[in-house]
Amino acid sequence: MGEVIVITSGKGGVGKTTTTANIGIGLSRLEKKVIVIDTDLGLRNLDVVLGLENRIVYNLVDVIEGNCRLKQALIRDKRFPELYLLPSAQTRDKTSVSPEQMKKLVSDLREDFDFVLLDCPAGIEQGFQNAIAGAERSIVVTTPEVSAIRDADRIIGLLEASGIKKNELLINRLRVDMVRKGDMMSVDDVTEILAVDLLGVIPDDEYVVIATNQGEPVVGEDSLAGKCYEKVCRRLLGEEIPVTDFMRSPGLLEKLSGLFHKNQED
Amino acid sequence: MSVRSVFIAKERLKHLLITDRIQCAPDAVDRLSGDLYNTVSKYIDIRPEEFSIEITRTDIHIKYTGEKN
Repeated sequence: MGEVIVITSGKGGVGKTTTTANIGIGLSRLEKKVIVIDTDLGLRNLDVVLGLENRIVYNLVDVIEGNCRLKQALIRDKRFPELYLLPSAQTRDKTSVSPEQMKKLVSDLREDFDFVLLDCPAGIEQGFQNAIAGAERSIVVTTPEVSAIRDADRIIGLLEASGIKKNELLINRLRVDMVRKGDMMSVDDVTEILAVDLLGVIPDDEYVVIATNQGEPVVGEDSLAGKCYEKVCRRLLGEEIPVTDFMRSPGLLEKLSGLFHKNQED
Repeated sequence: MSVRSVFIAKERLKHLLITDRIQCAPDAVDRLSGDLYNTVSKYIDIRPEEFSIEITRTDIHIKYTGEKN
């Protein structure tokens, strides 16, 4: 029986889809059989981030409505050992699917996969309810900003209220140079305020933008964010890997601050 | 030196989370705290500076500190 994890955030634009794609790829490279599901009906994106947008034939709503068999809708990503995508429907709305239908779909899929990753839409309406319906744990993605953290807190409350007890935080787009100057909340600030377990930290890295432009993975590549995503995947598999202390390691800091200064000039 | 923006962010965020968590108006938190203090002080010899409340996602903690001499 595979593990079902929803990747959620409340606020849009914090990196849920990029995170889903890279954790999916990372886990498959660690020899797990993975399916990533885009649950954002009407605003399909996960296929694009994965670079699979030209291979879609059927989608999630087709499966739910019985227009095709489940296996026909799954797109195998040939670049990786065992990674599959179930894309969302671009032309349907969020009422096309119910939480009960999602539960059934996910329970079928977990028979065949080690990991079922659900990319949740922004917001707390039906799309969110659908995405979390079959999940047993969550990854809550946030950035170190007031609005994103506020939404993360709300989401964690809703997840707990619906019986999902294992909710872990992924802090995305951390800018170490700004934290050092006192202009961005640190990892400790965020985890202390939210009082939730930390799954990982992804530093702001322009390589993520470049890779996403190309529909290529970040995880496992020779970049800061890539290495951090790989650590997140290993932690999901139960390895105990400490979160990099971005504030203390001087060698890394120099590299980071060079990178970030470049960012600022752009 | 001016106050670093992170301190402002943290204060604003903490305040927002409290009002979000109990779904009330911002000033209601102060009134709740005052009412709870008055109630507790009926039973326990306590000073305002020894009393605080903490609101988490699932609980409201009433805290009081200090030995009574």
